[in-house]
Formats: sequence, C-alpha cells, structure tokens
Amino acid sequence: MDNAKILVVDDDKEIAAAIEKMLMLEGYTVIKAYDGLKALDMLVENDVQLILLDVMMPKLDGLSATLKIRENKNIPIIILSAKSEDSDKILGLSMGADDYITKPFNSAELIARVKSQLRRYMYLGDMSAKDNNTQITVGGLCLCKDSKRIILDGEAIKLTAKEYKILELLMTNAGMVFSAEKIYELVWEEAAYSVENTVMVHIRRIREKIEINPKEPKYLKVVWGIGYKIEKF
Amino acid sequence: MESTGKVRRFFTNKASKAIVFIMCAALAAAAWTQIIIMSYQGINPECLIIKQYKDSNNFISRYVSDAYNDAYQTLHEGGKMPEKSSYYYYISNGKQTYTNVSSTNKAFFAQYDSAFYSYEKGLLTFGANTNSNISFGFGNKDTVYIAFSDKFLETHQKTWQAQRDLLMPYAMGVVVCLLLSTVFFIWLICAAGKKPGDKELHLCRIDKIYSDILIAVLIGLTVGAFSIAFASNMYYYGNIVPANMNTYEKYAFILLGVCTFAMFMLCLAVFLSIVRKIKAKKLLKHSLIFTICYKIYDFFRSLFDGRKFNKYPLTKSLFYRQMLFIVLSFVLVILTLALVRTPIFIVPFLLEAVLIYWFIKGSRKTYDEINKGFNESLEDQMRAERMKIALITNVSHDLKTPLTSIISYVDLISKEEGLTDSARDYISILAEKSNRLKQIVSDLFELAKSTSGDIEINLEKIDFKKLIQQTLGDMDDKIQSSNLQFKVKMPDESVNILSDGKKLYRVFLNVIDNALKYAHQGTRVFVSLEVIDKEAVATVVNTAGYEMDFTEEEILQRFNRGDKARTTEGSGLGLSIAESFTSVCGGKFNIKIDGDQFRVIIKFAKI
Repeated sequence: MDNAKILVVDDDKEIAAAIEKMLMLEGYTVIKAYDGLKALDMLVENDVQLILLDVMMPKLDGLSATLKIRENKNIPIIILSAKSEDSDKILGLSMGADDYITKPFNSAELIARVKSQLRRYMYLGDMSAKDNNTQITVGGLCLCKDSKRIILDGEAIKLTAKEYKILELLMTNAGMVFSAEKIYELVWEEAAYSVENTVMVHIRRIREKIEINPKEPKYLKVVWGIGYKIEKF
Repeated sequence: MESTGKVRRFFTNKASKAIVFIMCAALAAAAWTQIIIMSYQGINPECLIIKQYKDSNNFISRYVSDAYNDAYQTLHEGGKMPEKSSYYYYISNGKQTYTNVSSTNKAFFAQYDSAFYSYEKGLLTFGANTNSNISFGFGNKDTVYIAFSDKFLETHQKTWQAQRDLLMPYAMGVVVCLLLSTVFFIWLICAAGKKPGDKELHLCRIDKIYSDILIAVLIGLTVGAFSIAFASNMYYYGNIVPANMNTYEKYAFILLGVCTFAMFMLCLAVFLSIVRKIKAKKLLKHSLIFTICYKIYDFFRSLFDGRKFNKYPLTKSLFYRQMLFIVLSFVLVILTLALVRTPIFIVPFLLEAVLIYWFIKGSRKTYDEINKGFNESLEDQMRAERMKIALITNVSHDLKTPLTSIISYVDLISKEEGLTDSARDYISILAEKSNRLKQIVSDLFELAKSTSGDIEINLEKIDFKKLIQQTLGDMDDKIQSSNLQFKVKMPDESVNILSDGKKLYRVFLNVIDNALKYAHQGTRVFVSLEVIDKEAVATVVNTAGYEMDFTEEEILQRFNRGDKARTTEGSGLGLSIAESFTSVCGGKFNIKIDGDQFRVIIKFAKI
C-alpha cells in the first residue's frame, strides 16, 4: 500500500508539482495530468489507487471527470478546489467523490486524507465477510459491538467508555439528531440538567479522535442550536 | 478703535436695546396721552405760543374783527353799533358819526395804545403796525377809531395766562417726550438687526413672518392705537379743570396711557422688524404676495425650461403633446360650435379628427420608449448583479490558487534537510504569515458574499440557548486556557428562534473569539441570554484590555480593529462577519461601548 500510485490532476503545474513532492516524501508513486481529458487517458494506461482532482480545469472540469471515472471505477477520488461553499462540497461528493479538500490546503491534512482514503479502500476489500449484526459501518467508520471497538479506515481508535457509548448511540441511529439532554439521559443514565457543556466537550474529544480536521468534521456533526448527529453515508 | 467698539457695543447691546425700546414706546405713549389730556381741556392752544392776549389771533378774530365788522355794518349797511360794546369807538363816513365816547379826539384813543385800531385815509392800523392791504371794505372817506380798555384787556389777559399756565406743563412734557422718543426711535432704527459681536445683520423670529402681513399688522395696530384714544368717550365731556380731575377720570387716563403704551410697543416691534428686513434687503422678496407670484411664475417656467421633467425625461414630450392637444381641441370645438350653421364647420371637425390621430400615435411612441427604457435598466441591474457575484467568485479563485502554491512550497521547504537555523526562522515566519493571509482571504470572501446577498441561508427553528452553550462547549479548551473567567447566564426554558444554525455559530464563535483576544487579562466575560418583549437578546460583555478610542460604528467598519497597530493574529473581519451574518439570518447586531466595557448585543425575534 505504501507504493500506491496516485494521480494528481491540476491545471496549475506548480501546485501539481508541490503535491507530487509531498506525496513522494510519504513514499507514494505519483503521476500528473494537467487537464481532465489527459487524466482520463492516464487512468486507462496506469493502475491508479487514488485520484486528487482539481475542479476548475480546461477541456474537462473536475466534476465531469469524476462522473466519467465513476462510470467504471470505484477508486477513491479526492476533490481539490478553491470553492469553499457547502453547496460546492455537497455537489462534489454527490458526483461520486470520496472527499473534498479546499484550497489553500494544509499539507498534513492533505496527506492524512489521502492515507485515510487509501486505508479504507484497501480495508473495505476484505470487510464484506463480516457479520452485519455485530457491526455498524458509516463511511470509513466501523463500530464493532462485540469487541466494543471503533475502527476508522482500518485503524482502531482509542475511546473512553462514555465516548464509545455516545458514538454507538449516534451510529446506530445515523442521520438522526440527538439533543444533549437525550444523549446524557441515554449514555449517563441520569436526569439531564444543564448538560450542554458536558456533552459538547465529549463530542469535541470524539471529533479530535475520529476526524482528520475537527474544524470541518466529516462524520460527527454539530447541528447548531439543535443537537448532534453522525452523518449518514 | 477701542472706544468706537465700546460705543458700538453699548448701542447694540441687547439690554440697552430693550430698555430703549420700552422707553421709546413709553415716551410716545406719554406724549400721546398728554396731547389727549390737553385737547380734553377744550382750551385754545394758541395761548401756548402767544404770550399776550392782545397779540393773539384769538383776540384779533374774536374782538377786533367783530368791532370792524360792526363799524362797517353801521356805516354802509344800515346796521347799528351794539349798545353795550366792550370797546370805545368813533366811526364816521364823513356824513354821519357814531361814537360811545365824548371825546372824538384821536388822542383819546391813542392813550389805549396797547389796543388801539384805526382806519383813516385808507390806512388800517393795528396798534403800532400799519397795514394798507386790508380795508374791511371801508371807503376812503371813512374814519374808524377802536380802542379796548386796559381793564378789558387785563381781564382777558388773566384768563389767557391761566390757560397758558394750565397747558404749558403738558406742552413741555409733550415736546420733551416726543424729542426723546424720536431720539430713541432713531437709535432703534440704527441698531436694528445689529449685535455687539459682529457686523452681520441678524434677523429675529418675528422676521420670518411675511413682509406684507407685517405691514398689514402695523397699519392695523396703528389705527387701533389711535382709535383707542379717540374712542374713549370722555373726549366728548368737554372742559374740565384738570386740578379737579376726579378718580374715575384719573384712572381713565392711566388706562388710556397703558393701552396706548402697549399698542405702541406692538407697533414698534413690527416696525423694527420691517426695518430689519429693509436692511437685509428682504422686504420685497420675503413677502407673501411676492412668494406666491414667484411660485406661480416658477411653476410655469419649470414647465417650459424642462426642470419639471429632469427626473422624467421620457414624459416631457408626453406633457407637451397633452398640453397642445387640450388647447387645440378646445379651440377646434369652439370653432365647430361657432360655425355649426355654415357648411365650413366640417373643416375644424376634420382637423380635430386629425389631431386625435396625431395624439394617439405620438403617445404610443412615448409609451414604447418608456417601456424600452424600463426593461433596459432592469436588464442592466441584473447584469451588474451577476457580474458582481462572478467577480467575487473569480477573484476568490485567482487569489486562492497562488496562495495554495505559496503555502505548499513553504511547507516543502520546511521539510528540506540541511537548512540553517536562520533559514528555519524565516520559513516559520513565512508559514505563519501565509496562513494568516489564507484566513484573511477566506474571511474577506465570506464577508463579500454575505454583504452582497449571495450566500446560502438555511433558516430553521433552533434553540438559541442551546446554540450558545454548544458554542461555549466547542470553544471550551480555548476558554480554559485563557486567563478569563466566563460567567454564563441562561434562561431555564429553551428560547426558540428562526435562524441558520451554522451561520449563527460563526457569529458567536467570532464574538467570543473577539472577547478572548481583546479582553483584559484576569477579568470576567459575561455571556447572557434573556427574553425581552418577545425578543431573544444575547449579550456578551467584556472589559477591554486597551483603551477603546473608536466608536461603535467604526469597529464594524471593514478591517477596523481595536488595536491600531494590527499585530495580533486574525483578519480584523470577525465582528464585521458576525454583523453581516446576523443580519442575513434576520437578527440585529449591535455594539455598545461604555468606558472600558465592550458589549455585543444580538437580537432575534422569539418564536
């Protein structure tokens, strides 16, 4: 997996070169393309494990390229874009991309996301055999009821008992919003009184463990003014 | 120069002007009252001027003329001299002689030289004076000697003198009062509108009244002032010796004086206002008649010089066409009616039809133009809006792309081996600054988008209380590591509002971030939520760690920051973004600065 081949597509040659260098430092093999059409050609010629794709490009833009790629491949696609609106992210993800990174990006975050996607891609390969009753999967996040463990992209995450219980509650009801009081009553099994802060602090800790960028969480989301939820994939 | 200034100050001083004003009116009223008292005595005012009764016109016309008249009647008309006459006489026409004295000698008469009158040889003599021009109709042969006895004269002189003594004090009073009043009046006219401080002309409140109204009021007041005096019925009572003036009359005169004084004051005030207006060259311009006439004139002028249509250039032609249509139609209808008995009436009738056709066609053209203009401006506006949004997006992309390269390569350099220590320092500065630039660019575009209205808002029912607590929980580690104590006061029940949770989270994040950055070390930060009049009011109060020498408005100006040195991290847009986001979510964002206390108030309607 360390010698995975990554395709970097960006019309800005310097940025492409910088990303290439960053990934090479991590031990990946990198090939580059400067427009969407060239990227599609290279995908045919090479065995690529992950694609980093810019959106605004000549000839064929990133979103159209994603649609084309998804026609016959399910390798991870990470979109790199200067557009930072929520709607842009949602559009990108709904086109079939696995992750969305806004420019200007942080190199550590970029690498973390690349690794996460690669791990998940490899891990999901041998996951199908497992029993669906004892585990809940949300995206790259997997909760094993038997061993009371959380596995993120194939790596076990260390959680406290309360943190695990909160995650279990939210993951079993993925997509549902829970208020702090509800979470407190179900997890602590006590009457909830002025618990917003306690719950929020726990949520934040969990986020720091399972999210690559806790400021822009992918799984555990705060619904401001209402409650908390795990995003359903 | 100094002394003239002092004199000027004295003359134009408010207090001295007020005193002079009152004095002027009072003196005039006093003079007027005294004149009324004098006339009320029914005494011939001649006694004031002529000291000796025998010199007076009164004596001449009353006694001397009578005597001459009697003499003439006797000599020429067959009349008779009065039996008891107050004078000695000798008259003769050459044939007949009449006398009431034994001596016919002229010398006898001449002994009464103070009042001896003679007509002799066509020459008329009044005492020592001789006058040949007056003849009273006597013939040349007539001789007339008339003399008044000293006793008679003495009696009359006594009465004359008594009257003179009675009137003289009043007369002197009138003269003195009038003189002083005139002086004060001139003073007031000169000082009107002037103030000690400057040489400008100052207008008073009363001067705002139109000139013609002022003049009308002045005339009315003057008529009123004099009619008060004349209307007083005591004028008709006739002779009364003033020494014996009874109480009623005394009070009547005092009342008359006071009324006159009041009226004169009003007259004077109005008159001075007119004087000020004349001085300011505004008398004519600031009159009702002039204003109305000018407005009418201006209205008609504006119709034709295009001012009326400055704002509506497209309706100008429409207006003229309408005017022309109405006037011509009127003329043609009159013509048609006038010529209705003759066959020519068809001509104006047809012309009217042509006129109507022309009017409808022209109007349609104008309406088309108006519609076209309206559509064009609407399209322009839409295009401008689209361009603005496209500009924001494009500029954002164009700034972010090179910034991505900078940040990436700075990162790569930092991973290079074999760098010197100073190079590492430089790189860490570059990394820090490029990250700050990234923050500023992203804040700037967020702000630009929200202020231009191009922002996605997802309004839903949320609990304001929960949101604030979540935000505080989210920032818990930052708050804990700061030197500040947070005091949170929340209502027991939930406070539901309609807002965008994500945006409102940003608002509170920025506001609390601001408090964390700028609050004085070791002080308390108060976060509270209250419901006041169906409004959810959230307040964040902190004590500033520096002197706030800016206003509430300034702090919200883009890029304005408390510390003018701009050294600390952040884009300086935090509060601007908070304000903008609050308003796009339908709330109100206010800042109050009270000494060192910095207070942010966020209001939403409670649902």
